[in-house]
Amino acid sequence: MASALESYVNRTVSIVTADGRIIVGTLKGFDQTINLILDESHERVYSATQGVEQVILGLYIIRGDNVALIGEIDDEADQRLDFNDIKAEPLNSVLH
Amino acid sequence: MADEQEQQVPVQNVEEPLDLIRLSLDERIYVKMRNERELRGRLHAYDQHLNMIMGDVEETVTTVEIDEETYEEIYKSTKRNIPMLFVRGDGVILVSPPMRTGT
Amino acid sequence: MLFYSFFKSLVGKDVVVELKNDLSICGTLHSVDQFLNIKLTDIQVTDPDTYPHMLSVKNCFIRCSVVRYVQLPADECDTQLLQRCSKKRGSSE
Repeated sequence: MASALESYVNRTVSIVTADGRIIVGTLKGFDQTINLILDESHERVYSATQGVEQVILGLYIIRGDNVALIGEIDDEADQRLDFNDIKAEPLNSVLH
Repeated sequence: MADEQEQQVPVQNVEEPLDLIRLSLDERIYVKMRNERELRGRLHAYDQHLNMIMGDVEETVTTVEIDEETYEEIYKSTKRNIPMLFVRGDGVILVSPPMRTGT
Repeated sequence: MLFYSFFKSLVGKDVVVELKNDLSICGTLHSVDQFLNIKLTDIQVTDPDTYPHMLSVKNCFIRCSVVRYVQLPADECDTQLLQRCSKKRGSSE
């Protein structure tokens, strides 16, 4: 089942939501429907005209239906990124 | 589901839609997908959700652009080839059995 | 169960998963579950210039429902076996 997520617990993860947003935080818990608990989370808002804006969100519960992808972030690689310099269109939303 | 007669001649009987797909195994089929996508390729596997594995696939994606001056709809199609492809069934609109003409 | 078994046989092989948000991710198949949720390791987005959103993500879990296609390594797929299994299941159900 979704116990594949066990290895991501207490790691920094990047959640891609069905509407194309990206929320980064520490994965604290999950269940079989992929509902998630993220601690100390923030949204990374991508824009084609300016760098990535980081919006603090705090403790979040994300309903599984809206989760598209859960990425495990390599903290070292993440710290090396210059988010002021990354310009990109936001991700598309998931079209079923 | 299977009655006695069906068990005796399981391969030839076509009683439900999926039987037609079974007869298309190892044949080239046409699949219409959501979001203006089409696939042509050889059917290797399928299940009751219409998940499929196809080989030597040609995918055609059609996009519509509106000409800013004339407001004409301009259809553009892009094609690409994929040697072996798993297709998730929830995007499938229709499956057409082997083509007698064309590819 | 046919595709679950099939994907389990591809664990350790490289695949490209195309999502319904047009993102396309290449990586090594790490695991799959009965719903066909997919876990990939050592991933790269195939078009990182358009999609720099995952630059620091090395491993990921993909929810089954957002998968559109999986591009498979053709030489690892036993098409005869796949066809035999599909035929068997088709007539027994």
